[in-house]
Amino acid sequence: MRAPDILLSLLLAGLAAAFPFLVNAYWLHVMIIGMIYAIIAASWSLLAGFAGQFSFGHVAFVAIGGYTAGILAVSLHVPLPLGMLAGIVAAALIGAGVGWTCLRMSGPYLAIFTMAFSEVLRITIVTENEITGGPGGLNVPQLFHAQTDLPYYYLILALLVVSVVGMMLVLASRWGLFFRAIRENEQAAAAAGVKVTRFRILACAIASGVAGLAGGFYAPYIGILTPDVASQDQMGLVVAMAIVGGVETLPGVVAGAIAVEFMVEALRSYGQWRLVLFGLLLLLTMRFARNGLLAPGWLAIRRLAVLQGQRLIRGTAD
Amino acid sequence: MLDYFLIQSANGIVIGVIYALIATGLTIIFALLKIVNFAHGELYMMGGYFGYYVITLAGVPPLPAVVAAMAISFAFAVAIERGLLTPLYSPGMERKSDYGILITFGLAVFLRNIAIIIFGPFPLRPPSFFDGDLVLGGLIISYDRLVAAGGGLLILVLLIFFLNRTVWGQALNAVSQSRESASIVGINSERMYMFAFGLGGALAGGAGALVAPIYSLSPSMGLVPDTQAFVIVILGGLGSVSGSIIAGILLGLSENLFIAFLPDPNRGPSYANAFGLFIMMLVLLFRPTGIFGRHHAAME
Amino acid sequence: MAMPALIETRGLSKHFGGIFAVDRLDFAVNAGELVGLIGPNGSGKTTTINLLTGHLKIDAGQVRLRGERVDGAAASVFAARGVGRTFQITQLFSRMSVIENMLVPGLARAHAEKRVVLGEARKHLEFLGLASLETLQAKNLSGGQQKLLELGRALMLKPEILFLDEPFAGVNPYLRDEIIGFVKTLHEAGRTFVIVDHDLDAIQRLVHRLVVMSRGKKIADGPLAEVRTNPAVITAYSGV
Ligand SMILES: Nc1ncnc2c1ncn2[C@@H]1O[C@H](COP(=O)(O)OP(=O)(O)O)[C@@H](O)[C@H]1O
Ligand SMILES: [Mg+2]
Repeated sequence: MRAPDILLSLLLAGLAAAFPFLVNAYWLHVMIIGMIYAIIAASWSLLAGFAGQFSFGHVAFVAIGGYTAGILAVSLHVPLPLGMLAGIVAAALIGAGVGWTCLRMSGPYLAIFTMAFSEVLRITIVTENEITGGPGGLNVPQLFHAQTDLPYYYLILALLVVSVVGMMLVLASRWGLFFRAIRENEQAAAAAGVKVTRFRILACAIASGVAGLAGGFYAPYIGILTPDVASQDQMGLVVAMAIVGGVETLPGVVAGAIAVEFMVEALRSYGQWRLVLFGLLLLLTMRFARNGLLAPGWLAIRRLAVLQGQRLIRGTAD
Repeated sequence: MLDYFLIQSANGIVIGVIYALIATGLTIIFALLKIVNFAHGELYMMGGYFGYYVITLAGVPPLPAVVAAMAISFAFAVAIERGLLTPLYSPGMERKSDYGILITFGLAVFLRNIAIIIFGPFPLRPPSFFDGDLVLGGLIISYDRLVAAGGGLLILVLLIFFLNRTVWGQALNAVSQSRESASIVGINSERMYMFAFGLGGALAGGAGALVAPIYSLSPSMGLVPDTQAFVIVILGGLGSVSGSIIAGILLGLSENLFIAFLPDPNRGPSYANAFGLFIMMLVLLFRPTGIFGRHHAAME
Repeated sequence: MAMPALIETRGLSKHFGGIFAVDRLDFAVNAGELVGLIGPNGSGKTTTINLLTGHLKIDAGQVRLRGERVDGAAASVFAARGVGRTFQITQLFSRMSVIENMLVPGLARAHAEKRVVLGEARKHLEFLGLASLETLQAKNLSGGQQKLLELGRALMLKPEILFLDEPFAGVNPYLRDEIIGFVKTLHEAGRTFVIVDHDLDAIQRLVHRLVVMSRGKKIADGPLAEVRTNPAVITAYSGV
């Protein structure tokens, strides 16, 4: 990490820690939701942007994480933290299974397959209402018995930092190199000795597990889980966040998710128009700024910071 | 019981023809632009509403309204193509497949939600083509369904004629075979892409207008056909209109029979959509790259 | 008993629909050889390479690597065991830098250490004259540079045997001489090569042994001079 990165990270950390004391309860809630989406969008970026698997079924794993934790807590009285852990494991395992199933698919075929998987899961949740609560939703107990959202805020902040930094470390490692090699050219990757099967499944498992984590947190935080978490509109929102942020930079995606969520809330009085607007945002970003809106901005700021730093150093040396 | 089976079969064939219409549009777009249109179901939905408003606002009778809906859908699709898809044709464009997936996916989200605002979330139902039912022994089928199936078949027959017997149809075919050689013989391939997307939109829109009196219109009605059409394209063979027709009818039939024979009556309708999706997942498992021998192309 | 051949096939077959792309092929390469594999278009050369490197499933027959059966293994397993290849149409990781292209096979090796692999990669890039392009994205290289990078990437496997599929196709005369030089140097350093190409002149300057395929079958196999006068070879080439 370069000096400006460290500085910016410290600044952000300070801001994040102080955030709950700067805003009212409503915006704190919006921030928490934004951070949940940030985890989901970042994990989708790992899968789509880096490993090249454009899944439109990613929100299914949010549902799997959430419903696993919720059903275990409601039906079997399993403690929530344990249920959340089980949700992560279930999402990762099922993700690996889906990844294995669509090993020979790519591009639109994989997109359609995962979309179908997600819809089948959603329909199953709607139909099997004795276990899942059906369309009316599943009431999930609270994680904390506090008056405010403060404990939730710090927990999701920690989860966000851990999961995003963890994924960034994975992407910077040789695993990340192999993910990208497979994305670029599967055949060449195999000829280069990359175990394509293993790494494709691995990418699915990691991304799905992280999505499951987000679902596991979402369920007790909101308190009611509906099949809508796995809807195609949710998927659209996640894709929009990642694309606006810049799908190949995780910090950009995190910023994109939080920014879009704040926009959605700011436009609350416009009701349904919000969904239209971010659909439009996704279209315009794809059409006119394919690398995202935020990532290039972030890079520009960094470049400027580096430049200033160099000038500073040169200045003192003179 | 036999009657019930007959009725379900007839319903299956009707919806199968509609699926085939949607799928042939998807195939034509696929064959020319080399992208999967993830917003195809939304064009179907829009076509339904176009038909509805042509009837209710302009007072056009239901049958001509289908033709009007197709014309409007054509123009609508061309506008989308001009606005969003032209980057696909520039030679310097990278990752065209990704762009095609994401831009049409975004379009689908956008159209679904703007439809809720413009048309409202509640189901709308245009007037019937003809009131009443045809009764043939145990088989009872509404005239609306007959018109939908008959109209759909007529459009498909005209389409086959158009593709095989007219200059424009042959130009479409030439561009789908090879952009380069088509441009050598003087075909403007960009105009063909525009036309293909418009045609695909018109077919989907026509399907939407035809089923509107049967199933009612709702902004989310395109979600299922979105994926269904894809199954049909894969089952029936890319670029094969007749394959799409057969596969469409088979899929419609099997879905309706699935509902008829599922032992749990509460779950049947709910799982019927899942059934079609499930079939598609199976199809993809066995033909994971669809119809292309893309593997070979990459190998050479 | 003599040492087993480095790579060997028996009754190797592959068909696509009704086409027998490779038809009961028996073929062995010993360590240290430099073999040319020629034949008219569509005679099954590329398919043979694909079968011998795990890129295609075998219909019938065997593949042995140092005497051990490996048919059915994945391409990555072949790569890990020292079988490298290039493709008829260059296959690079386009949106990755030159050095990253080199690091992929290096780091995919068992017990690879990043620092060591980086050193090796730079050494190979130096050898191929690509050292100054390290940070460029592969897609921005010229066609010739891409071919060289693909060769360099295969070298990162520390391969014992290298299959080159049409290395001279579409290459300018200067680069052609350069590639011939690289292959000679690498061969002298102990690497085994199987080279597929239509450029008989270049092949003749390189190889000691020539194998000829036609319609999926091996029709000649032997020293260069002998094969060139073989009547079956002459008919195969003039007949197509
Ligand atoms: N993946 C494939 N699918 C169908 N046919 C193939 C495939 N690969 C090769 N072929 C056919 O097999 C035959 C041999 O091809 P190939 O090995 O590429 O020949 P060569 O490399 O000698 O020109 C040709 O007829 C070719 O069309
Ligand atoms: Mg070849």
